[in-house]
Amino acid sequence: MKKNFKIVSILMVFVLLALMSMACAKNDDAGSEGAAGGKNVSLDFVWFSDGNEGAVMKGIIKDYEAQNPNVKVNLIEIAYKDLATKLRTMITGGQPPALARISTTEIGAFSGRALDLSTYVGGADQFTAQFMDSIKPYYVVNDKVIAAPMDVTANGLIYNKTLFDKAGVKVPSSPDDVWTWEEFQAALKQVMDQGGAKYGLVWDFTPHRWSTLLYQYGGSMISSDGTKATINNEAGVQAVEYFKKLHTDGSMPTSVWFGGENPNNLFRSGTVAAHLAGNWMVSNYKDITNFEWGVTYMPKATQRSSVPGGKFVMAFNGSKVEKEAADFVQYLSTKEVNSKYNQESLFMSPRKDSANLDYAFGKEMFQIFSDELNNTSAAAAEDWSKQTIVPKFSNDLKNNLVEVIAGKTTAKEAMDKTAQAIDKAIADDKK
Amino acid sequence: MATGTATMKPGKRKKKFQLTPYLFVLPNFLIFSIFIIVPTIMGFIYSFNEYDGLNPMEFIGIENYMNVFTNEMFWSALGKTALYAAIVVPLIYCLSLAVAMLLIQEIRLKGFFRAIFYWPTMISFIIVGLTWKWIFGDLGILNYILSLFGADTIPFLSSPFYANLSVIIATVWSRLGFFMVIFMAGLQAIPGDYYEAAHLDGASKLRSFWSITLPLLKPTSFLVIMISLIDAFKSYPLMFALTGGGPGRETTFIVQYIYEVGFMRQELGVASAMSVVLFVIISLFTILQFRLAKGGAV
Repeated sequence: MKKNFKIVSILMVFVLLALMSMACAKNDDAGSEGAAGGKNVSLDFVWFSDGNEGAVMKGIIKDYEAQNPNVKVNLIEIAYKDLATKLRTMITGGQPPALARISTTEIGAFSGRALDLSTYVGGADQFTAQFMDSIKPYYVVNDKVIAAPMDVTANGLIYNKTLFDKAGVKVPSSPDDVWTWEEFQAALKQVMDQGGAKYGLVWDFTPHRWSTLLYQYGGSMISSDGTKATINNEAGVQAVEYFKKLHTDGSMPTSVWFGGENPNNLFRSGTVAAHLAGNWMVSNYKDITNFEWGVTYMPKATQRSSVPGGKFVMAFNGSKVEKEAADFVQYLSTKEVNSKYNQESLFMSPRKDSANLDYAFGKEMFQIFSDELNNTSAAAAEDWSKQTIVPKFSNDLKNNLVEVIAGKTTAKEAMDKTAQAIDKAIADDKK
Repeated sequence: MATGTATMKPGKRKKKFQLTPYLFVLPNFLIFSIFIIVPTIMGFIYSFNEYDGLNPMEFIGIENYMNVFTNEMFWSALGKTALYAAIVVPLIYCLSLAVAMLLIQEIRLKGFFRAIFYWPTMISFIIVGLTWKWIFGDLGILNYILSLFGADTIPFLSSPFYANLSVIIATVWSRLGFFMVIFMAGLQAIPGDYYEAAHLDGASKLRSFWSITLPLLKPTSFLVIMISLIDAFKSYPLMFALTGGGPGRETTFIVQYIYEVGFMRQELGVASAMSVVLFVIISLFTILQFRLAKGGAV
């Protein structure tokens, strides 16, 4: 009896181990199937969605597969927060995906593993000439085209129309009469006093969104040749001081930059006059019904500026289906497909010839964001495209800004400290 | 095999090699090795290399450790963690002991009260953090209630003092039940005769507590203090959800800082060196517990 029990136990353990190894082996097969080459190829495409763009992409893939019966695109949908880890695991494990949707935050880290698209898409110049020049530093690295732009983003100003109307405050109607920051602050005060807004302005708690003010003051984070920090120059310090003033004057609640309160929720509550965010919030706020809202031009300091960004498609070296991946990227980059993708996802197209898309919602809002992008300091994309350096100091920048607002340090001291962190990151990157 | 067993001396029978138990342990052992031991060893290796998780590692000796020991932010985060532990551990100890002593009495709805204290331990730290964020947020429930009474709102999450207080309250709330159960087991193991004898000798309740309950709870106390201390040093998800480490860096404790260095700055080598330092600190606590509790005889 005891012996039988032992035999059964041993058998069970072996069955369990066999099942485990089969489970692992099945994954391997799925991976190698795509890499097998031959006539039929399968392209693994790592994807994340913020809104409905995943569904739009599935439609595009279906069309592509119908036109190219030998190609199957396998969309691997993951959460955005898992993107970097998932790609690292796949690449270091020797099985990079054919393609991945990637944001400006990751593009630098993976640029060394990206396929240079220029040889597949008829030359770098011809390819890049199709897209807005301001985002070029993101996807052209060392003269290599490491990714293709899919959509472009711009920081901008969303306002509560109901509260502004109640206070009798008119927003700028054309790019020629944009507010100065002082004028805007006065307008916010009026909306708070007469419109009943509890807070004037909420501003996303990210260094990226804060930097909008830096560029409007004519500043930059890093010198254009990329050798040293410039954030602690006069323009940088002025931008920080004004940002502090917005808090101390009561135009902005401290809960966002101190307490991590979600500005989207505050704006949605209908008690906030304006939200400095980005064009992606248009689709997020689409369902607001308790008040009217709109997009207006951002105020200017010494100049107007937004911060360009976007999402890209990157193909990877070593996927063994490089040619087919590059062909698909080229298909995605065509005017027809790119316009369809952006129009249906409520995004902005990076193509120069698709600036005015026929959106089902907020067409005039996108025109304002587009205008913001056209009036953007060149330093913005130069700074934020240095993604092997920026992540190493962006958290320091954020925390140093909080210290200034809290009155623990002066704007100059905080920016000097940030400049040290930037210089260290530049030095580390050169090693 | 059966013959072998028959010829063995009775005293040696226990030492006979039995394969089956090992096989039963094998799946768990494999999972533990693959997902805990191997990554620990890998982390140790990373700590001597420059590594961003993507490009090839480069051996740099003890440079990462030098970097850690001269890193002001690391020590500041560690100091904050130690202060947090110094407040949270005694609070958890006293409150869970007090609640356990109350709830081993024969009172009405005892089971219900025990459940109320225990339920929070079953909720993940992220949910605990989010729940308290709804309560403590500047536009949260607590401030709404304060405003109903015409009182000024309190910046629970945007003032350094209140943010730390909020984190402490949420931690104690979520861990109290777990340690209450441990204390209850300890308290119930104390024979009732001792209290009876003390009562007959005219000892007060306080005297009985100091002279009977506390000394006999010593092994349980060590266990509770050590587990809650290690918990405190490893805490991260709750703060991540409740304060995000803010305002500024006020509630950024050591694990969050290591996470930031490793995954936001992509400096896995330095982050691994920091983890090794934390591992040594936690190991010291564990060794101390074993020493004090005489080999873990709890």
